[in-house]
Amino acid sequence: MAITKVNVGPIHPSTHGVLRLVVHLDGDTIAKVEPHIGFLHRGVEKLVETRMYMQSHPYMEKIDYMAPMSVDDLYVSTVEKAMEIEVSERAQYVRVVLLELQRIASHLFWVGSICNDLGQLFTTFMWGFRDRDMALRLLETATGQRMFYVNMRLGGLARDIPEGFGDETLKFLDYLEKRLREYEKFIEKNPIFIQRMKDIGRISRSEALDLGVTGQVLRASGVSYDVRKNNPYYVYDKLDFNPVVLQQGDNLARYRARVLEIEESIRLIRKALGKMPEGNALGMPVKLVSPPVKNRIVSVSRENPRGEEMMYMVGDPQGPYRLSIRAPTFINLSALDYMARGNRFADLFAIMGTLDLVMADVDR
Amino acid sequence: MSIDSIIENAINSHSLAISLAGLVVYGIIIALLIFAFSYFFGWFERKLIAKVQYRHGPTYVGKYGILQNFADLVKLLAKEIIVPANANKVIIALAPVVLVALNVFIIFLIPFSPSLQASSLGLGLLFIFVILGFTPIILFMIGFASGNKFSDISAQRSVLMLISYELPMIIVVATIALFTGSYSINSLIAAQSKLPFAVIMPIGLFVFFVAMLAELERPPFDTREADSELIAGWLTDLSAPYYALSLLLDYTRMLLGGLLIAILFFGGWEGPFLPAPLWLLIKAFIIAFFITLIRVTTMRMRVDKILKLGWVWMMPLALINLVITFFLFL
Repeated sequence: MAITKVNVGPIHPSTHGVLRLVVHLDGDTIAKVEPHIGFLHRGVEKLVETRMYMQSHPYMEKIDYMAPMSVDDLYVSTVEKAMEIEVSERAQYVRVVLLELQRIASHLFWVGSICNDLGQLFTTFMWGFRDRDMALRLLETATGQRMFYVNMRLGGLARDIPEGFGDETLKFLDYLEKRLREYEKFIEKNPIFIQRMKDIGRISRSEALDLGVTGQVLRASGVSYDVRKNNPYYVYDKLDFNPVVLQQGDNLARYRARVLEIEESIRLIRKALGKMPEGNALGMPVKLVSPPVKNRIVSVSRENPRGEEMMYMVGDPQGPYRLSIRAPTFINLSALDYMARGNRFADLFAIMGTLDLVMADVDR
Repeated sequence: MSIDSIIENAINSHSLAISLAGLVVYGIIIALLIFAFSYFFGWFERKLIAKVQYRHGPTYVGKYGILQNFADLVKLLAKEIIVPANANKVIIALAPVVLVALNVFIIFLIPFSPSLQASSLGLGLLFIFVILGFTPIILFMIGFASGNKFSDISAQRSVLMLISYELPMIIVVATIALFTGSYSINSLIAAQSKLPFAVIMPIGLFVFFVAMLAELERPPFDTREADSELIAGWLTDLSAPYYALSLLLDYTRMLLGGLLIAILFFGGWEGPFLPAPLWLLIKAFIIAFFITLIRVTTMRMRVDKILKLGWVWMMPLALINLVITFFLFL
């Protein structure tokens, strides 16, 4: 049969930003998908070179606008490693709580948007938004900003969490657990959802390893790799953390991996809030002129909501000489062609949805 | 005031003009009814969907946002009509209008009470479904004439839906027609005065309802204008005024679906206390409400699964309904 080329995007209702896909269709079956990226390229890596260390936070946060704090945390950790700055224990706990709240917010948004990709009329999308907004409000009370926090400082945070933050967070977590049961009833018991997700876009364990995907895409294919477990940072090893690993490797497994990860995050926050020590969580001030760079070349990786994000930095006294970012969504997007081949055209958007793309992260 | 009586009158007393005037008045009433239903049900649907999604819906324009649809209509009509270079200009300009006209015409043919009807055609039911069958074909024409690939895929899906959902629907209608022994809607409703057909043939109701959802492009069968994959399907390249027309079409078809289900299965205008046309409208409104509830909760099915559902489930169920009805009730 003749191949039809369909141009999807960069302006399309469900490409999650400005992604352009040239889809080669054989009837209704996908023969090939060519992603064309770069519409949101802002040259962050180059911009950072022209700034001093503590001037780059806002750029970092805009890399992943669905989970800004995790990228900021990664950048600060990289600089901390280069300068060998210790993070106080309380600051480590606070960072874990905030990062897990950020992960919950990001995953809640994803749970809503995947249903939208499957053609629902924004219902779960709005529900996810509502619950995500409560998480964002908590982050706002802790940092002063709703979306782009710029709260990380070398060796700690810009401000400690306020009085009563723990209680409010626990209240939110109780509420969220109830909501998750509701989501399960509404989404996972829906036969159309199962029909659209089960056995679609399946990749096996070895394929996932070969494709280099990380995050839930990898863990849903049966590989137990989570930076929080395999290369623990902060206090994750003290919190008895177990990564969510599923075997099926299809869309449904990737969905479940994310929902289960929300539950895992809830447990982590509860434990972290219970164990949180007293002390000073504040970091160094922003005015940091020519700090002592002890390790010139460092690389740090973190488990972000979308996968393993890594920064490689060559440091100079004033600012980074070179900063390179391994974006998880960029690598995951490169697997889209392989995952989508042989599936139906309508499934392309479901598969792309389960990769949880953020185009700012892909293009940087 | 029926077409039969017009002809009769024309032959007998040469008063064709008076009967024609009656038909025109009736047509205006129907047009107003459709506009009112589209307007208020559109508002109601927005409020209902907003309620489900924990939003407020329209609130600013008018009390409870009741004028929001009017504001939107003005906005849409004020926009420029752009016809793509690849498109067939004649079909793009005419087909949406014809589509709305056909659907309005079907409602025109539907009787609202024993006295309030345009025609008492003996073959009314058959006539309605013949005209209804044109809708997917016209959608196919628009999609094909648009000259872009998304509309093209939508047009192909339209034909697939036509062949797999019209058949079970027609079989159910044929069962009803055989059961009552007539294609006339009046005698159909008269036959339901004791027991509505929803009780006699629940399977038929189920099949007809699902097929009607597919026919009306309502979720989970809205693959023709699937916004997450085909942008807007056959609507992709139509400009804003045509989009306004398509919204009118949407609610006209919703009213039509409600009316047809109410007439075929829930006893039409039969009901106590209230006047007959009101009963029919109330029934149609409740059915449209359920269609909206389905719209707001389900996801979209994939087109191959829809075809499978049509042929593997709906078709046999329609036949089973036919057989059961015959062995139990005839």
